[in-house]
Amino acid sequence: MASNKKYWKSVEELKDSSVVETLSKNEFVENIPTDNFLGDKETLETSSTSRRDFLKYVGFTTAAASLAACEGPVIKSIPYVVKPNDVIAGVADWYATSMADGYDFANVLVKTREGRPIQIMPNKEANGTTSARVQAAVLSLYDEKLRLKEPSKKGETISWADADKEIGIELLKLKEAGKPVVLLTGTMASPSTSKIVDEFTTAHPNISHVVYDAVSEAAAADAFQAMYGRRALPNYKLENAKTIVSFGADFLGDFHGGFEKAYVQGRKPETGKMSRHIQVESNMSLTGANADKRIVAKPSDVVFSLINLYNAITKEGVASKATPIDSEIQKIAQELKKAGSKAVVMTGVNDINAQLISLAINRALNSEILDINNSLNIRQGNYEQVQKLVSDAKSGKIGGIITYNVDPVYSLENGADFAEALKNVSLKVAIAVENSATVNAMDYALPAPHFLESWGDTHFSEGNYGLIQPTIQPLFKTRQFQDTLLKWSGSSTSYYDYLKSFWSTEVLGGSSWNKALHNGFFQKEVALTEDGVETPRDISIAEVARILKMNTTPSGMELNLYTKTGLGDGKQANNPWLQEFPDPITRASWDNYLTVSMADAKEIGFSNPVKDNGSINGDFAKVTVNGVEVVVPVMVQPGQAKGSVGLALGYGKTFGLKEEMHVGVNAYPLYKGGNNIQYNVKVEKASGVHEFACTQVQKTIAGRHDILKVTSLKDYKTVDPKDHHHGWNKPAYVSYDHKEVEANTIDLWDEHNREIGHHFNLSIDLTSCTGCGACVVACHAENNVPVVGKKEVRVGRDMHWLRIDRYYSSEVETREEAKELGLSRGEMYEALETEAENPEVTFQPMMCQHCNHAPCETVCPVAATSHGRQGQNQMAYNRCVGTRYCANNCPYRVRRFNWFNYANNNEFDFNMNNEYGKMVLNPDVVVRSRGVMEKCSMCIQMTQATILKAKKEGRKVNTDEFETACSSACTTGAMVFGDVNNKEDKVAALAEDKRAYNVLDYLQTKPNVIYQVKVRNTNEA
Amino acid sequence: MSHYEAPIREPLVLGDKSYHDITEDIAKPIEGKANKNWYIAFYISLAAMLWGFGCIFYTVGTGIGVWGLNKNIGWAWDITNFVWWVGIGHAGTLISAVLLLFRQKWRMAINRSAEAMTIFAVFQAGLFPIIHMGRPWNGYWVMPIPNQFGSLWVNFNSPLLWDVFAISTYLSVSLVFWWTGLLPDFAMIRDRAVKPFQKKIYALLSFGWSGRAKDWQRFEEVSLVLAGLATPLVLSVHTIVSMDFATSINPGWHSTIFPPYFVAGAIFSGFAMVQTLLGIMRKVTNMEDYITRLHVEYMNIVIILTGGIVAVAYATEFFIAWYTGSPYENYTYLSVGAATGPYAWAFYSLLFFNILTPQLLWFKKIRRSFIWSFIISIFINIGMWFERFDIIAIVLSKGHLPSTWWRFEPTFVDVGIFIGTIGFFFVLFLLYARTFPVIAQAEVKTILKSSGEFYKKRLAQGIPTKPTVVIAKKKITEVDSSDKNTKE
Repeated sequence: MASNKKYWKSVEELKDSSVVETLSKNEFVENIPTDNFLGDKETLETSSTSRRDFLKYVGFTTAAASLAACEGPVIKSIPYVVKPNDVIAGVADWYATSMADGYDFANVLVKTREGRPIQIMPNKEANGTTSARVQAAVLSLYDEKLRLKEPSKKGETISWADADKEIGIELLKLKEAGKPVVLLTGTMASPSTSKIVDEFTTAHPNISHVVYDAVSEAAAADAFQAMYGRRALPNYKLENAKTIVSFGADFLGDFHGGFEKAYVQGRKPETGKMSRHIQVESNMSLTGANADKRIVAKPSDVVFSLINLYNAITKEGVASKATPIDSEIQKIAQELKKAGSKAVVMTGVNDINAQLISLAINRALNSEILDINNSLNIRQGNYEQVQKLVSDAKSGKIGGIITYNVDPVYSLENGADFAEALKNVSLKVAIAVENSATVNAMDYALPAPHFLESWGDTHFSEGNYGLIQPTIQPLFKTRQFQDTLLKWSGSSTSYYDYLKSFWSTEVLGGSSWNKALHNGFFQKEVALTEDGVETPRDISIAEVARILKMNTTPSGMELNLYTKTGLGDGKQANNPWLQEFPDPITRASWDNYLTVSMADAKEIGFSNPVKDNGSINGDFAKVTVNGVEVVVPVMVQPGQAKGSVGLALGYGKTFGLKEEMHVGVNAYPLYKGGNNIQYNVKVEKASGVHEFACTQVQKTIAGRHDILKVTSLKDYKTVDPKDHHHGWNKPAYVSYDHKEVEANTIDLWDEHNREIGHHFNLSIDLTSCTGCGACVVACHAENNVPVVGKKEVRVGRDMHWLRIDRYYSSEVETREEAKELGLSRGEMYEALETEAENPEVTFQPMMCQHCNHAPCETVCPVAATSHGRQGQNQMAYNRCVGTRYCANNCPYRVRRFNWFNYANNNEFDFNMNNEYGKMVLNPDVVVRSRGVMEKCSMCIQMTQATILKAKKEGRKVNTDEFETACSSACTTGAMVFGDVNNKEDKVAALAEDKRAYNVLDYLQTKPNVIYQVKVRNTNEA
Repeated sequence: MSHYEAPIREPLVLGDKSYHDITEDIAKPIEGKANKNWYIAFYISLAAMLWGFGCIFYTVGTGIGVWGLNKNIGWAWDITNFVWWVGIGHAGTLISAVLLLFRQKWRMAINRSAEAMTIFAVFQAGLFPIIHMGRPWNGYWVMPIPNQFGSLWVNFNSPLLWDVFAISTYLSVSLVFWWTGLLPDFAMIRDRAVKPFQKKIYALLSFGWSGRAKDWQRFEEVSLVLAGLATPLVLSVHTIVSMDFATSINPGWHSTIFPPYFVAGAIFSGFAMVQTLLGIMRKVTNMEDYITRLHVEYMNIVIILTGGIVAVAYATEFFIAWYTGSPYENYTYLSVGAATGPYAWAFYSLLFFNILTPQLLWFKKIRRSFIWSFIISIFINIGMWFERFDIIAIVLSKGHLPSTWWRFEPTFVDVGIFIGTIGFFFVLFLLYARTFPVIAQAEVKTILKSSGEFYKKRLAQGIPTKPTVVIAKKKITEVDSSDKNTKE
């Protein structure tokens, strides 16, 4: 319906439509003077804007517009919409938790930044210690390559609900059929988990629980059980020990772990008390390297000498055999008897009889050091049950296998058999944090969270409980093993609730849960004396010795399998920090190798030539044990017993690992019967050349004894350190005005006033440093030190800011000795440079010395490195142009150059090349670009944070409040950091100590890092 | 420039040359066509240069890691090449400045090429400090220029900074000095040029030289002033380069004799390189009459002298390493440690090439032999490279802490860049030989009458060449003009 209505907009339109019409035709009210503008020829001609200019303008504006459109990559930082309560951006939160991955057990503190754990430190209140592996575990959390991300069935994703349903049905079927199912886990040392497992196995009586440790300590546990009735590992109170004799027990290395603190506590020369440590061993272990006296014997001789020691102490005559070291053993017996109850003997021979003899010796000595009450609940693996499982599975007796965090396909001597046997098993479930060959062989792969994402509890030693709490939201669709078991047992409680109620009823005894959780640990009195467990059972040692002698059948070479400080049992083989971590003894990274004695190497024809690029090569050896053959590269090892070879477990893992981590040789197939000692080994030379990646090539100090000062306890007590002839801490002397004066009394330079404000010093006690390397990894984590990979380490480009130099002694130690021997100059150099066949070993942590007269500072053309007012030598990365002059002029060679871009570079596909790995980066420390120099900063980000914190709280910095990553990671207290201007700080006294010295003091660089002379207790008691 | 020379001295210009002959001889390589040999040499050099540039781009694009350096040896071929090339550059200034001040006329035949060599060598040398930086794009930070980084200034304590000043001063003074000397010669080419383009170019290059007496007077004055300025540079540049090492605390570097020893070594290597280049050039460009046995002998004498200084310095270093009794001096580049260590081959190479071979020059026959001088000069060039390599690599390979002892192995990039600079050097030199007057003809003409063979002969025959008699002068002019007539 059309409307005839007319709407007018103004009176004019209504009255006089012609005006409106004209107006509506003109868009503009006034005429635009286009004609004026364009038609004015004159103006146009006089205008200086030619067409050419016009094009220029167009070009310019186009270019400007397009340039303005270009933007750098946008990195979005999104503020919290709702800020979590405890998270303050820029402020770290620390959580107390525990690590128990089946091999490493530690009470730790975890540093988180904005909800990401970035560092693990020992929980010193809980007497916790960390090793390189524990420190590095934080990076394994972010292993996006290896971690299981969602539940899967035969490679296909499956939902948790479906998996639960299917597995539940299967379990029910097997239960009804009465077919045995095995739950295979590592040692968890978790009381609540034990209870859950118990409940699970009670609900399913056909399910049995088998504990499997890749590296077995079963013999020690069994021996302890045989003697004391409880399956546990003996503990030792080494801090009270007067004499420690170890028969191949690497107690500072992998043997149970955590003894270094007590060991060092008992070795403080300034208190006048220092235990004497004698090590009888075949491989050069970390413990042997620290021993006051190291006696080299092949494994069979270690066993026999242990029996001989028993005979010498008890005057019994149990079956044994003479060894080349019997005279030494007699002396040891004397020393042990003298020390009486303050003496202890331990053995690392994984044989129940050897362990029993060791326990018996301790009983004979009445040793108070052997701590039976606080026995250890770790490494509870039962090797025999595992082997039974394999054979049962093979014969089809087993209906189902559920594994949790173990990788028997890789780490069993007969891993291939196990994989094969799995085909006969109908229900195969792997619950695991990380992918592995075993997970791959299973039908169901159920992801479990990393311990940093988990709840849990620990009970490492009797009376010492710990809690595990999550420090980050789970990264992937994981569910805790305990939750899974609870679910399968038909329970609806969550593990967290279960844990909490378990603790309140069974552990806490009325104490506060929150406090325990805050502290991360809970201690309980052990009251075991009443129930008779303490009374040892009588065991016929004569019988034990007879069996031991019968089993010890030395013939051919003897192989001593061991674990390396870096990789341990190989659980963290995909962790680049640990792969790059140089072995404390050989200083080789990214490898395992056959350690061969110098004598045997000469005989068979092995050598380690140094190549022109500075790196070391090695020959290959074919090692045959019981028909199993492996080909491994050879490292000639000083201090290795002739007739024995050593090989590290934990390498050669490849499944799922990054290409770069496919290093080393899997030695588990040689680990027959879970015994670390294998007799009747054939070692032959094989063809080929292996390329090692060693961070240190020269093995001795080459007569430069002012770098590394070592003395004996006797000299330390009786001789004046500065005595001109016999002094053990002689300062450097120079001639000044024709007089001999101490070098540090004269100076070319004007001093700054160092009394004002803070002045940082770091003291490193060479007596306390065991060389464990926890500080190296701590430094990695704190300072975002890049990993460079095997090829680059090989050519001498590792980036470690902190390294631990290892020196072997040589047969000829000083120039004076060489002169007395009448050696020519060339011969003298060779003698000083060549390591002894059975050398003493000394470790020397080396990092930027923060010289007050730093040679690096004067030579930088752009002043990129300069001195701070707090004693640090500072490095301004942004200013560095990379001439490397500073590195050349650094006598300590601690500066590290970024040869390439190590972050976001596919050539260096380590943690800094993926989004997950980058989460471990410390936001307080910049990631360096290529072409700049970097080095230890004395953790300036930490000292500044401490100062700021004190300032905010309106107080002075507390005594000993300053810390660096290395000093806080150092469990033995070898590294002490602090402010020398605060006389209360420990380091202030240490700087004045009579043992204190500076490395290369003759150069007068005046470092702020002080070393304390190493004291060895060489006095025979 | 009046000059009297005894007739018994050997003439410096052979071949009965007239002024015009000199002009012709020197203009010939520029005006004529290049022969096949020149092209072969040029293309080989060009290929080497491009390869070197490729290696440089690879280094800058990827990182210094493509070289063979490591955590303990932060310099090796880069700084070796740098010092080697700077050293080579030394002869040019010495010849043109010091010898000018000492009025040594024999320099005239060789100074142009020696200076060209200097400038081209300093180009090569200057490359290394830039490309050896981890972040060469920030290389300008070593210049004390106003900046927007706050009050950031360079570190005047650093010898590397002194290097920047020393090298850039040296390059600029040398370039100016060289160019000034070239002006009359460019003008000569300009006047002879027939092609308009060529004429224009040489007109530009000769800065409008007109040949007036005033031009000549100023020319002489400027030359003397520049020679005075350049002379201290001969000493300063390598002194400062040596301080890169001498002011450090590495045993073997920290040595007070480095400055004089390095200067002597630089002149030694510079003269050796001049011998090498002129040995080729006199043949290729037919300059046999100007670069004579006498020139070669004189240069060899300088080589023996400076070689002797270097040898004494080596002996001193060796003695001091032993005499200090410090275990830290055991492995300096001249020590028993070096002679028995992994770099023994480099140690003995140094002694052989640098100490033994120059001793042959004590024999007059060898000293005056073109081919022997050429061979020995190449040996010295190699030896001087080894000297720097030994100083840098051997010393750094055995630092204070034995745990940091390491070795160095060059990669293909290290080698490629070195070869590239040699290629670049020869590309420049070959282009120079085809476009520049390779002998300072204006200057040679000034000594023709006192040191030319023709005139020496006449003097020996008793025909006076000095004034007193007007006729004699006339006669000479007649000879000159008749000479011209015959040619024309």
